[in-house]
Formats: sequence, C-alpha cells, structure tokens
Amino acid sequence: MDLGLNDDELVACVSCGLCLPHCPTFVVTGRDTESPRGRIALMRAVQNEGAPVTDDLIRSMETCVQCRGCETACPSAVPFGHLMEGTRAALAAEGRITPRWQRLALKGLRHRWLLMAGSTLLALAIRLRLVPTRRLGLPARMALRRPRLRTSGTDVWLFTGCVMDAWQRDVHLAVQRVLEAAGAGVEPTGGAAPCCGALHIHAGLESETKAMARQVMAGLSGDGRPILVDAAGCGAALKDYGHLLGTDEARAFSARVYDVHEWLAGRLGELQSQHPVDPLDVTVAVQDPCHLRHVQRAHQAVPEVLQPFVASVVALDDDGLCCGAGGAYSVMEADLSRAIRERKTAAVARSGASVVASANPGCSLHLAAAGLDVRHPLELVDQALSASRV
Amino acid sequence: MVRVVARTLAEATRRVLGSRRRTGRGPAAAEPAQAGDAALAADLEAAIGADRVRSDAAARYLASRDASIYREGNAGPVCYPDSTADVVACVQVAARHGRAVSPRGAGTGLAGGAAPLGRPVVLSMTRMDKLLEIDVDNGVAWVQPGIVNLDLTRALAPHGVHYAPDPSSQAACTIGGNVANNSGGPHCLAYGVTSAHVLAVEVVLSDGSVVTLGDLSAEPVGYDLRGAFVGSEGMCGIATAVAVRLTPDPPAVRTMLLCFDDVSDAAATVSAIIADGIVPAAIEMMDQRCVRAVEDFAQAGYPEDAAAVLLVEVDGPAGGVSIASERIAGIARRYQAMSVRTAADEDERARLWKGRKSAFGAVANVMPDYYLHDTVVPRTRLVEVLESIYEIVDRYDLIVLNVFHAGDGNLHPILAYDSRVPGADERVHAAGREIITMSLDMGGALTGEHGIGVEKREHMSRMFSEVDLDQQARLRASFDPYCRMNPGKVLPSAHSCSDIAALRASDASGVWG
Repeated sequence: MDLGLNDDELVACVSCGLCLPHCPTFVVTGRDTESPRGRIALMRAVQNEGAPVTDDLIRSMETCVQCRGCETACPSAVPFGHLMEGTRAALAAEGRITPRWQRLALKGLRHRWLLMAGSTLLALAIRLRLVPTRRLGLPARMALRRPRLRTSGTDVWLFTGCVMDAWQRDVHLAVQRVLEAAGAGVEPTGGAAPCCGALHIHAGLESETKAMARQVMAGLSGDGRPILVDAAGCGAALKDYGHLLGTDEARAFSARVYDVHEWLAGRLGELQSQHPVDPLDVTVAVQDPCHLRHVQRAHQAVPEVLQPFVASVVALDDDGLCCGAGGAYSVMEADLSRAIRERKTAAVARSGASVVASANPGCSLHLAAAGLDVRHPLELVDQALSASRV
Repeated sequence: MVRVVARTLAEATRRVLGSRRRTGRGPAAAEPAQAGDAALAADLEAAIGADRVRSDAAARYLASRDASIYREGNAGPVCYPDSTADVVACVQVAARHGRAVSPRGAGTGLAGGAAPLGRPVVLSMTRMDKLLEIDVDNGVAWVQPGIVNLDLTRALAPHGVHYAPDPSSQAACTIGGNVANNSGGPHCLAYGVTSAHVLAVEVVLSDGSVVTLGDLSAEPVGYDLRGAFVGSEGMCGIATAVAVRLTPDPPAVRTMLLCFDDVSDAAATVSAIIADGIVPAAIEMMDQRCVRAVEDFAQAGYPEDAAAVLLVEVDGPAGGVSIASERIAGIARRYQAMSVRTAADEDERARLWKGRKSAFGAVANVMPDYYLHDTVVPRTRLVEVLESIYEIVDRYDLIVLNVFHAGDGNLHPILAYDSRVPGADERVHAAGREIITMSLDMGGALTGEHGIGVEKREHMSRMFSEVDLDQQARLRASFDPYCRMNPGKVLPSAHSCSDIAALRASDASGVWG
C-alpha cells in the first residue's frame, strides 16, 4: 500500500531513540510499536518494503496521540506530525481507520446550529444524570445557556471554533475581556469560521479538512487583522493551513494567526500599566498543551502573561509530556489516555499547586475529569483584573 | 555432554518447527516466521500473561532492530516482563522450546547488540524501570534494568548524588543496556565507565536460576564475576536488578567552550591539558560539520565557523575549579583558540551538552543514514588519526562528522550517507574497515563503549589471537553452557560453534515485510 508519504521526510529518522522518553504512549507501554521511532519504521516498511498493513500495524498508528512531543525532541527535525497525518489519511481513505460513527460526529462539528442544539441537549442529559460523565470524560456540569458573543471592535478576530464555543463560551468571554483591557477591539469569529478541522486531520479526513480550511479562510478574509486563538489545538491547525493547502493565500492566512498568549505577551506592559492589580492568592501550575509547546512552540508566553496576576506560577517537571487528551483520543483510546493522564496528575501533585492553567479545551476537560481544578490561563487573568476593578 | 544436549534440543526444535510450519493456516500462513512460534507464544502467555507477549509481525519487526544500520535481526515472540520471576519464567519456557533469549532495553545500541539472531524470544525490559532502593549513606541504589539512565540521575538529584556514566543517549538508554555494553560517556574521563559504577548485579542465567554477582562490601571476596558480567552484551545472562554506585554531586562545575580554526590545534590542546596534570570531568570534541548539524536543534551558540570545538568541563571544590579552568583557558590560547567561552549559567551549560549529546541523532540534517565506529586511539596520536580519517573519507567520496571523547581518545567518526544511492553501503563499509585498521595500527582498540554486537564481530580477530578468542568463548560458556543467551554476538563465528547450532535451530528467513 502506498501511504503517499514524502520519501525525504520518511528517511530523515536515523532511529537514535531520543524521541522515546518524550512519547506518552511509549512511556506508559514501553513498547516499540507505540513509539515514534517504531511508527516511522513501520511506515517505511509499508511504503518502501511493501509490508502488508496488518491490524497490529494499524493499532500502532491509532494509538498515537499526535502530541508531536517527538518533534521537539528530534535532533534531525523529522516532521512526524505530517508523516502521521499522511499515514492516517491513506488508512482512512481505504476505510481502515476512523469508523463511520466517528466520521458522522466530526461532520456535525461544521454545522453550528446542530452543535449548539446538541450541546444543550447533552447539558440537559447531564443534569438529568442520563449520561455517565466520568466514564466518557465529559464535564460533570455544563451550562444550559450560553451568553451571547458580542463584537467590541475590529482590531483583532477572536477565533471561537466549535466544541469550545459550545461548551466553554465563558472562556471566550473572559479572554475577550482581557483583550479589551489590553486596548483591543475584538470581533468573535462565531459562524464566520465554524471549525478549524484539527480533529478531522487527526482522524485522517484530509479532503474534508481542506474544505473546512477554505471555509474558515473565506470567512476571515478581506483584511489583515490578526486572528487570535485561545485553544492551542485550533491555533496549531490554523497555523498549519499554509502547509495543508500549499497556497500563498493559505500561507498568508497562517501568518496572521497567533495564540492569544503569544499576542498578549507583547502587550503586557500596556495591560499592567492601565490596570494595576492585586495578584490572585493562588499557586498555579502551568500545563503546556502539546499543540502550544511542541507544534506552535509558543508555550513560554503563558507563564509570562500569567505571572503578574497570580501569587505564584510553577512549571511542571515532566518535560511537557502529553496529558493524553489528544482531541478525540480520550474517547477513542480511553485506557491509554487515562494511563498517560496519571503521569500528568502526579506531576501536578508534585508541583504543590492548587490550580492548573491549561490553554487548550481538550486538555482542560480531560484533566478536570481527573478531579483537578483546571482554568484557562486568561480566566485567571480576567478574574484578577475584575477583582481589582471592584 | 552439553553439546549433545544442545544438538538434541536443536534437532527437536527443527522438527517441531518444520511440521508446524507446514500445517500453518490463516494469517500465520501468510507469515511463515510466526507459524512455528504459536506453541511457544502460547506457553509464554500462560507464563506471564497474554497482554505481555506480542508475536505479531509489527512487534517482531521493531524488536529486530536497534539504532544501528544492522537490519538482519529476526525476533521471535516479544515479552514484556515486570519482574525477575517473569524473566525466569520466559527463560524457562524458551529453554523448553529449545529457543534462545535476547534481552532488549531502549534499542539505542549502535552495534546490533540487541538485534535478535535466530528468532529468539525477545525480552523487552522497558517495564522493569523502577528505582528499588536508595541508600545515600552507603552510596548505593538498587535499580531495575529498564530504568532510563537520565531518569535515575533525576530521581537521585534531591539526595545530592547522581549516577556518573552519561552516554550521549542517556535521555533514552537504559541501565541494563549500559551494563551490557559497559557504556561510557563524556564524564567517564574522570569518573570511569559503567563497570566502575556497578557494585552488584542480580542475573537470570540460561537455566533459569537467579544469582547475584558481586556484593556491596568494600573488598568483595572471590573472583570478580560481576566484572566479567558487565560488558558481556547479554551473552552471560539477563540482569534483573543492578546495584549502582552513587556519586556525590560536585560542589562546583564549570563548562567551557574552546573554539579553533584548525582541527590539529584542538587536538593538541587536549593532549596539553592532560599533560599539564589537569583531569577535567570531560573533554569532548566536535568538528565543523558536526557543529553545524547540531546547532540548529540545540541553539547552544556553537560557532559554525570554527573548524573544531572542545567542550571541556571541570568540577570539584570551587577553588580548584577556578584554577583549573584558568589554566585550561591559557593552554587553549597558546594553541591559537579563536575564542574561549565559559557557560554563564546552568541553562547555557545544559544547552551546550544538549548539542553534544544530540550529535548522532542530528545526522539526518546532513544525510539520512550513518555508519559509526568507536575505536579508541592513543590521545597523543589524535592529530595523525584525524588526518587519516579525513583522507580515507575523501578517498571514498563520503562525508564524515567527527564527534568524540577527546580526553580518552575514543573516536566516533560518523560516516554520513544516503543508502538510497547505489553503491553507498559498500563504500561506507569499506571506509569503516580502513578506519578500524588504521586505528588498530596506531595502537588503538576496536571499541570504546558501543560494544561489539554483530556489527564489529568479524573485526575481533584483528585485535585478539585465536587463543584469546577461545578463552573468551570458554568464559561465556561457563555462564551459559547452552549458548542460549543473546547468541551470535561479540565472538567471531568460528569461535562460537554452539551459538551456530542455536542459530541454525530456528528458521532465519520469512521476516514480515
């Protein structure tokens, strides 16, 4: 089977093994089949040596969280994420991965009214205790109503996305207040850009992702406004449109995308001078979402932005190892996902922090389901700002 | 007697395998290598649990290789033991089936030492990764073999001690693999290699018995069997627990980067530092090509215009460190160093080391494949040796990245190439042979720390006489009379007759893919 992978990218792995300690699935299983080096060797076996695509080989690919921690650990800069996306696209095209129900669910994310209505129903079902939230990794309580998104100006876009907007709109509102405090007029993207397609590309649905990328670009075209993203996974996906579509237009679009912390870090002076604050009396552990740390490589902005607004910010001592959320991974590979999460919760316990700051909705849901008090970093900043306003 | 038993077992295995292979069906029929393993795998599963045995093609394919370019390995079922008892059980099942056993750590070896030959049962030790016991007062810790070298040092950090041997792959490699290869590392210049840091080893022998070699007393009595075991590359038994020596963290450390526009000046500086009576904790050298390959990744501020750089670290009491580093700076300037830089803080120091330790992994920035030797040459002849290496490599139209433990003359000429180019493999191997011959002619040794494995097996007779090799084979046989532990490694084929029987006993063809 031809996986359609770029041969130069594929042979760039020299099998040194320095990725192993940075791979969450290798760390919890100790198995070469669940390691980046092993997965690349299997891709090569299929593409270059004609090896058959066995069920076990597919398991090896499916168990990858796509955290891309291996990429930052790789001295030869092997583009593992692209290789894995390509492999999954080839497998999905043959119907070997991503079952029909999952494809259907992913399709739903593009239809905003469907998603919002479905989420309200889900929130109701959770209230009525009809849904085993713990087992499914869902929040124990979801809001039945969502406050309205409103536009305060046209300096920047705030990308609101799909599930996050339906389930965590409070976060968007807090982020917007912080941006406004920094002097920016904010327009939430809402229906103009329904979904970034990150979950779709992870599931190997390449052509669908491309269609969604074009839809998002069309919705936010027309001006060069920065597009700020408060979900690390979406930010990484938007920043990758240039590679995904390979057009100048897409590259120009991706260049407009910033993680919201990245953008705020450059304006921290303004924010602090206009709004003297009393820091919140909490010790916060910063959890680096993989798609912020390993893909966007912008994670250092989070503690920088957070620092002035809380008593103390502590870093976790686990080298940014993935928490196991991985978008739909926590549902599709629940056992592995939880085994990986245990290492993260242990790191949080070692840090002595009472609150965890996570800049990605997937991670925050996953960690909250383990009983941690998880907030978006800018929710804390917003809380500190509003406390001092009173 | 032993040989008769081995031959009988071999014959029995051949028959069993033969008949089963013919009756294979379903997915097994498509993968002939798997068919004969069904009974073996079933017994292994019964012994340690079905979820800890993998006999599918993908798992065996990956367990057949390490970080070297050796690709002829052929794994049987892969087991993931959790305890010494599991290892014993696997070894016993394998023995019952007349099959060999090959242990495996992180698979970062560079000589094919973990590449299984003759379809043995592979024991992947990664799950036995616990730190069992720390005794800081007596400077010793018991660990399981699958613990990662750097994880051990990190776990020890709160106690103000560390595990001294630090191979470049220390972020991934395991203590078990370090014991098997008697691994070195930059800091072994001052602190000594693995054998100086392993006090005792619990070993499962090929008959399934468990013995402890060495003990924790200051003056152990009797033969130093621990010494014989460390560096035996898995051929004497499988380590299931290791007592490692804890080294107190030095009160002060200074890391210096010395840059030169001539490789010979750098090499001469190394000799001059040692001749001056200074024993730095480490002296590492990288040439220009190597610096360029790592700098992009490490962002350590390595100058890409220098022909060679030396990374020198001194440690000890603060006063001594500062005197030694001043003397080293003086020597470097005498040898025309372009610049002498001292790491300002721990972060800068960490980045410099990160660059050095990612050298092998960074090769793909230059070429997609590499072939590596690790000969040791007398330090005084470094300049000559380096010139010869560049000359050999030029002649074969290859690219070399030089990175090595300059302080003890342990070379690592990385021959970078693209195996997709026709004839490249042959040129690389021919150049490798010449480098070995040249190193030995200069009075050097075949390997410093990477082990012999399969890669350098046939070069052993250049270094040892027939009598030497026979004695080594006998030492091995005294541990493993059945030649069932990681067979086919280290000793050239003529000296491991019973290994050959073990290897022939099982089918070596039919690998998936």
